[in-house]
Amino acid sequence: MEPPVVTLTECSKRFGDRLALRKATLTIAAGETIVLLGPNGAGKSTLLRLVAGLLRPTAGSAQIAGVDATSAPRSLRAGIAYAGHRSQLYRGLTARENLELHARLQGQRDLDITALLNHVGLGDRADEYIDGFSRGMLQRLALARATAHQPALLLLDEPASGLDADGRLLLDATLRAGLGTRTQLVASHDDGLPARLGARAVHLNAGSLA
Amino acid sequence: MIPAALAIARVKFVLELRRREVIFAMLLFIAATIVIVHFALSGDTGAGSRAAAGMLWAAVVFTAVLGLLRTFAAEQEEGALDALLLAPIDRAAIWIGAALAQFGFLVVVEVVAVPVWWVLFFQAGGPSIGTVVVALLLANIGIALVGTLAAALALGARTRDVLLPVLVLPLVIPIVLAGVTATYGAFGEEVGGLRPLGFLALYDLVFVALAWGTSEHLLGD
Amino acid sequence: MRSLGRLSTTIPLVLSTILIPLTVALAFWWTPEDFDQGLSQKIFYFHVPIALTSYVAFAFGAFSAAMYLWKRTEVWDLRSYVGVHSGTIWGTLVLLTGPIWAKASWGVWWNWGDRQINVFLILFLYYCAYFMLRFSLDEGERRRSASAVFALLGIGLIPLSFLAVRIAQTLIHPVVFSTGGAAMPNSFLLTFLVGFAGMLSLMVLLISTEMRGKRTAARVLQLQRVARGEDA
Repeated sequence: MEPPVVTLTECSKRFGDRLALRKATLTIAAGETIVLLGPNGAGKSTLLRLVAGLLRPTAGSAQIAGVDATSAPRSLRAGIAYAGHRSQLYRGLTARENLELHARLQGQRDLDITALLNHVGLGDRADEYIDGFSRGMLQRLALARATAHQPALLLLDEPASGLDADGRLLLDATLRAGLGTRTQLVASHDDGLPARLGARAVHLNAGSLA
Repeated sequence: MIPAALAIARVKFVLELRRREVIFAMLLFIAATIVIVHFALSGDTGAGSRAAAGMLWAAVVFTAVLGLLRTFAAEQEEGALDALLLAPIDRAAIWIGAALAQFGFLVVVEVVAVPVWWVLFFQAGGPSIGTVVVALLLANIGIALVGTLAAALALGARTRDVLLPVLVLPLVIPIVLAGVTATYGAFGEEVGGLRPLGFLALYDLVFVALAWGTSEHLLGD
Repeated sequence: MRSLGRLSTTIPLVLSTILIPLTVALAFWWTPEDFDQGLSQKIFYFHVPIALTSYVAFAFGAFSAAMYLWKRTEVWDLRSYVGVHSGTIWGTLVLLTGPIWAKASWGVWWNWGDRQINVFLILFLYYCAYFMLRFSLDEGERRRSASAVFALLGIGLIPLSFLAVRIAQTLIHPVVFSTGGAAMPNSFLLTFLVGFAGMLSLMVLLISTEMRGKRTAARVLQLQRVARGEDA
């Protein structure tokens, strides 16, 4: 799939009485990588979840390839990957089983799970329940899950949290590999990341884009 | 659609086999409910009585609600529901998978509980077991369906555990009515013949259709 | 738009003010006393229209819920809520007037063999749960979708409850209408229809008044947000 354009138009999201995102307007060109910077509670996660179509805007719109993100058809969803604060995995399954489930739902019969687990450095823990995994290991597995199906749009929410030095290198390499070939939006606290990737930085503060 | 639903249901069975969170609790619960209803009716549920037949339905419904409380628990622990919602599958597959798992749990519980109930209350002269089994199977489908729907609606609610029984129980009253009628009919009395079973099948169809039509709105924001 | 809003309360206000007292007058001074049930049958002109009105309100709530899921505009969510709310208010009246009639006709406050009242009880329990669901979710898109789906499922529950109660029933409610048309004197039918029209207009009045209140509250909230500089 071609990398899609992402457009937020005057997009606001309210939770009860709290305005989490305020009239955000942002265009991510096809194949562009954007790093979303901002303090805790600035609305980064909300913005990512709106783009992923997991939240419905209170006002305005969030579109992927010209379609409202919440009503993205299956063919479009197949090209979207989102990794959030939580690993989105099943705790009672092993690392391998989690990826097997993902591959099955994505319709990827030929996914080499062993190679993927080796790639993220979890090869020797493949058949352990993820119950006992550390934050960083979960983060690595979540990254493996998110990139397993070669998404055209990759949304990562603070993917570096809990990662060790090796893990960060792996993350940077993954993002670098996607430069130009897929649309990427990464929420991060790492001010150096845009420069390292050569990507555009966008600042979010108290629900407003700078 | 069907493969995705089966994959999701399979995960739930695997987790249940490993963690044994739901089925054991349901078994103990159905046993305690039957004992309580028996004593509450103080002897009216003696051997061979119709009250004993009706009591099974009360116990099944309450036990099902207990199991439903954990419907999407595994998906909530680490946010796996997000991954399911973003997967390129029909969203109906998510609740159908969950409903399949609930149906399976109910069947397992009944395979143990119904023979025990039979032995305790009907050494002789009970209802025809074939009818009771068919009625239970049809009812399990309906209970699992509307229960999973209600559990999906209650996701994100502040008082989810209190809320769920309140949402589910009015929905399953028609199932209890038809189930009890079918069971009475199975005593050989002429109460409607096959109509209660037909009704249970109709109930399942109506709620499959309604759930299907609303499944896009069920789990997302 | 504003004048239309005013009309939607004025017309039902006028109609219900005329029709409901008229029903009382017709019921007690015009219609002959029932052969069988005597004076106690008079409650028929109130109980049955109230019950039908309640169904209409629930149907309006479910219809608006479907419209919300289609259009996704807040006003349909408010309409759906107000419809269900009104349905439960009328439903409470049904569950109060029903036992009065039951006591007079059958000598018991509640007749478990009466098909209609038992269906109504199931539906009432169901829509009471609507409020629990709605108010345990935070205000926002998720709450509106979940409330709408729940309100809509009630449409399946009504006919299924009727069928289930019918299959399970032991006694039969006194059937005033036969299936082939009204088997009662014209004066009975006319009074009943006037009563139904009166109750319906009162329901429309209550719904449109509550809607106005809800819309004003929503507007005030919006203005407060603008004043706080949130402008959305």
